[in-house]
This record gives sequence, structure tokens and C-alpha cells, in this order.
Amino acid sequence: MSAHFESIDQVMTELARERYIADRSLATVLFLARCLEKPVFLEGEPGVGKTEVAVVMSRLFDTELIRLQCYEGLDAASALYEWDYPRQLLQIRMQEQDGLDRERMERTIYSRRFLIKRPLLEAILGSDGNPPVLLIDEIDRSDEEFEAFLLEVLADFQVTIPEIGTLKAADRPLVVVTSNRTRDVHDALKRRCLYHWIDYPSFDKEYRIVMARIPGIEKTFARRITAFMQALRGEDFLKRPGISETLDWARALMAMHVDHLDADVVAASIGCILKYREDIRKFREEIWADPEKRAACLRGPAEGSGGRTSIQS
Amino acid sequence: MKSVPDHQSQPVGPGLAGEVIRFALFLREKGFRVFQSGVHDVLRCLERIEISRRDDFLAALRAGLVSSDLEWARFPALFEAFWDRRSREPAPEPPAPRRRVDVPDPEPESGGEASSRLTGRMEGPGEKEWLEGVAYSPVSRVEKKDLGRFDQQDIQVARLVLNRMITPFRLHRTRRFARSRKSGKMDFRRIMKRCTRNEGIPLALYFKGKKKRPRRLVVLADVSGSMERYARFVMPFILGLRGTGSKTEVFVFATRLVSVTFAIRRLSLDAALSRISKEVPDWSGGTRIGYALHQFNLEHGRRLLGRRTVVVILSDGWDLGGKALLREEMAALHREAHCIIWLNPLAGDPDYRPLCHGMKVALPYVDYFLPADSLESLRRVGRVISRVAA
Repeated sequence: MSAHFESIDQVMTELARERYIADRSLATVLFLARCLEKPVFLEGEPGVGKTEVAVVMSRLFDTELIRLQCYEGLDAASALYEWDYPRQLLQIRMQEQDGLDRERMERTIYSRRFLIKRPLLEAILGSDGNPPVLLIDEIDRSDEEFEAFLLEVLADFQVTIPEIGTLKAADRPLVVVTSNRTRDVHDALKRRCLYHWIDYPSFDKEYRIVMARIPGIEKTFARRITAFMQALRGEDFLKRPGISETLDWARALMAMHVDHLDADVVAASIGCILKYREDIRKFREEIWADPEKRAACLRGPAEGSGGRTSIQS
Repeated sequence: MKSVPDHQSQPVGPGLAGEVIRFALFLREKGFRVFQSGVHDVLRCLERIEISRRDDFLAALRAGLVSSDLEWARFPALFEAFWDRRSREPAPEPPAPRRRVDVPDPEPESGGEASSRLTGRMEGPGEKEWLEGVAYSPVSRVEKKDLGRFDQQDIQVARLVLNRMITPFRLHRTRRFARSRKSGKMDFRRIMKRCTRNEGIPLALYFKGKKKRPRRLVVLADVSGSMERYARFVMPFILGLRGTGSKTEVFVFATRLVSVTFAIRRLSLDAALSRISKEVPDWSGGTRIGYALHQFNLEHGRRLLGRRTVVVILSDGWDLGGKALLREEMAALHREAHCIIWLNPLAGDPDYRPLCHGMKVALPYVDYFLPADSLESLRRVGRVISRVAA
């Protein structure tokens, strides 16, 4: 696969071939990120497919996906590089017999052989030829120190290791930064990226995703599931279900050998969709107990919206 | 870095590039954070895409010029308004993505009504009347308060007392490492570095331990009429916060919330006093704790709240605003912050019961409920806490 895109349409078709249904604006952003060699900053509610973008892009480019999961206290030693201390000690012991001088010893134990590469360094060094896709996941979980540290790496794609010198990427990897927006990320970081907000999908898009991701699912059943999820998303929950919940649920129902939605099926599998006790209680008491709302959830898609969805096979 | 060349100082050329820059300026006028580098990106983008396709053009501009979800939601309407040139004024903007603090109150009581209307903008004096608690104020704005009516020496005392009292709540062991003496994990990097001096024998061991540092402190102080009685205490309290480090944000509120962080941290004592009295218009007015918290959550919450934030509220809990709004905002605050400390001047009385409805509503969300009617009582509290913490 070529590492460059010709047009936005090409991005869309290739994403679709990898079973990722994207709208045109996301395809545009990915296309531009590739052209301008800038990182993409993806924000959105949990479970709308932010991480998946990076996974699919790495498949598209037929390259390695390097993933860095952020957490509080993540530092250079676990994100960038560390020296392999036990091996260094062993090396010193071995050299002792030969009686080498200090300078020589230092050169040896601080050479690349003793360097443990962490994700960021791996992305920089592994960029010869076919650059990898670097996924920096949930940046909002890290602390400000790490964010500031990341600025340097994202700006130039080079790092300076005092004992060795400066290492620079030959080709810039595609970088995808995701955030769940639990806190504000600093402007300085956003400024270096192209921004994209992934929203909950429309009925049409969600239906296509279900059809693309769940092999063997029946069309009318998929439409029912999608309509149910769309209706549920209109309610005010602590955590509204995302697309990943839709797919989980559809898979669960397939595993249960169910091919229609009714009260028993929904009650049995609600744990796939709602993950908070309060939400489940709210669902039971306010939505499920209300005949009108219940009917609205089970009714299936409105006429007309179903007609346009016969795209997938 | 935020700047885009100014309208006046630098005439923008004709052509598409000029239009894009004008559009960036237009967005900035509408309150967007537009970065210079974003404009550059957009101009570079335009060579790569078919600008005749409207949706691609929009997507390219949006990728470069937008940097948050709120801007994201407003963008299409502004895009339309600018590029269609039907009029320079944007069409009515769609509602921003729902945030928890925005959710209108479902309860049909009086407070619910106030809060559901709060989600709209409140501007102009005519609209202010409906907000409960505002109108109720015998003294507001009539006489300017004399803020200097306290003992200047109290500020020093307050500094010491506050530091002592609040530090145990704030101290936080981060997950980052710093050098330490003979405890914690071994610092192999240093050990290896040093051992090359002694022919590779690690003679000295070095350690690293978890770094400690204070959490961010957010203080919301009530300066409404009912707190008047404790005026000799409140001002030194607020000014004393200048001793609590650079991670402190101070707000005062009566009917609405005003930040006084800058005045307290950067200005001299007299300048700070005059600035505060100038910027807090409704000193000794009515109280609307719920609305003040709503304002805080909406405007500052995302920036200031988090697992590393301690919130201190100084208020007697006499609230004239809506009950439901207060409950909702306290819940939001409780969810986001590390802990909430409520200092109440009335709580020192052994017979005190949280009877006024404001306090009753807020209490379930408060982690520490402490008395504070004078520096002396604050000092006592501090002593107890440091004993418990130690």
C-alpha cells in the first residue's frame, strides 16, 4: 500500500475496505494530516471509534502500530527510552577481566545495544522506509509534565539522549492523539495538531457500521438494533452508549441466537449497553416502564430512513 | 502565539488566501482561539484539496481553525454566515454539545425554572430580575463597602493559619519520582553513571521516591449580606490566601462569581483591596450559591477541576437561589474535584443544625464540614487536622 493518498475519495474507499465507515470530514482530516505531516487530534465521547482510526490507518499503510497508553505519572523512562541496567552491570563485570579504561567502558555501556526503546523512540527510529502509525491514547489521562514533554517530540520528531546524541526521524510517522475530554489539553499541544471531533453517528452511519462489522447479521435486525440505540442515545444517561456498545450488543445477541428484539431479550442483555447501576435503574424505571417510550425503542427505524441504507451487501 | 495579523495594522490581500485570513479574523471576533499556525495549515491544505467541493473546504478550514468541541459545534453556522455573505451576522447558533452542567433542571419547582433559563445567556439589567435572590438586597450597590475595616496584622496570621490548615488536604504523592535519601526505589540511572568512576563497581547507592506536591486549591468565598457579620474575618481570609502558593485560584461571590486571583496574587495589598472593591459590584448583596457554582463549573470547571483539585467553599449556606440548581452544581463539583471543604461560620456553635435549605441541600456533597467564624477558630481547626493527619 502506498504511504500517500491521492485524493479524499481514495481515503474514504480505503477506509471502507478496511471496514471503517468514516464521514467525509474525517477522511479529509486524515488526508490532510498525511499531506502536511501533522498529528491528528481526535476528541469525542468514549466508544465512538477514536482509537480504531489509528488501528485502521496502520492496516491501510501496512505498517506497524505503536501504541502509547497515557496515565498519570507517565515519564520519559517509560515513554521514550531507558538504559538496560542489568546488562550494563554484566558488561562491566565482563570487561573487568580485560582491564579496559574508563572511557572505553563508558562508550560501550552507553551504546545503542544497551538502550531499551519505548514507544516514542521506537516510532522515531522505526521510521525508515515505511513509517509506523503512532497512537497516543487518552492524552487527557496524563499529567501536564508529560504533555509538555510531548510537545518537543511532536514538533521535530527528534530526541536528544545525553550519552548518545540527537536521534531524528527520517520520515515522520502518522500520529493520532486521542482524548476523552476529561480535562482540557493545553493549547500548545492542540496548536500542533489538526483537530477533529467524532460525534455519535447518525442512524444511517451506525447501520452501515453494524453491517460492516458484524458478519452475517440480518438487515432488518441490524436496523432494529440501530434504531434502539439511537432512541436510547436521546435519553440523558450518565454514560450514553457509544458505537462500541452497539457492536458488543449486536455480537451478544448473535451469540444468543436471537433474531428479534423483545422485552425479555432487552432485559437480559441490557448490561452490554449501559454500564452504570444508576443508568440501568433509570432505564428500567423511566423508559422501559413507560409504554410509549418502550414502543418507540422497539419500533424500528422510521420509514424513509431505511430506504437509503441498502448500500451494504 | 495566538495572534493573527490584525485587521487594521496589516491590510489583507485579495484572493482566496486573503479571504481565509479574513475568515480567521472573523472567527476570532466570535471568540474562537485561532492560532497563527492553524491559518498556515489551512493555506497549505488548500493546495491539496478541491476547493470547489464545499464540504471538503469546510472540513479543511475546520481542521485547522477549531480547537475544542464547543467551537466545533458553532463552526458550521459561522462558516455559512461568512462564506455565503448573505449577511455578516451568523444564523442562530445550534446548541453546543451537552455538558453535564448545562442540563436543564427537570424539577418543576421555582429553582428549576431559574436553572432552565440559566442555560441561555443572561445579559442586560432587565433580565436580571427573574433570578431569585438578586432583587433581595437591602444594601447592594447603594453604599460601597469599606473593605479596609480590619486589622492589617490579621493578614499575616491568616496566612500562617490557612497554610497550616489546608496543607494536609492538599499534599499529594504524585506518581513521578524525585531523588530521595535512602528510601524508595533504586535510582539505577544515577548508580550506573557514578559507578563508571570506580571501575564499574557500584559503591554508592542512590534512591528515588515519589514526589510530593500540593494539589490545586480553588477557594470560593461568599461575600453576601449574611456574611457581613464576619467581615473582619473574611477579608484577611481572602488576602491571606496569597501565602498558599501559585496553584491557588480565588473567587468571591454574592449574586454572581468574580475571580480575584490576579488581585490577590500579583498586586500590593492596597492595590488588591481597591481592585477587589471595584470588581465586586454586589458586595453584601443577596446570595445565589447555586448560580455562582453554575458559573464556576461552566466557565472554569474544565480548566480548574480534576482529581488534583481541592475546593474550599466559605459560606454560611444562606442561599436565596434555586434549590435544584444548587444540588445539581454541588453534585457536578463533587464528581470532578478531589474533595470539597465547606467552611461555615455558623458551624462552630454546638447547637448548630444545617437547617437553612441551602446548607441542607449541599451537605451530602461536602467531604469536610468545618467551622470558621474567626481566625482563632480556624487555628483550632488547623491544629486538629494536623494532629489527625500526623
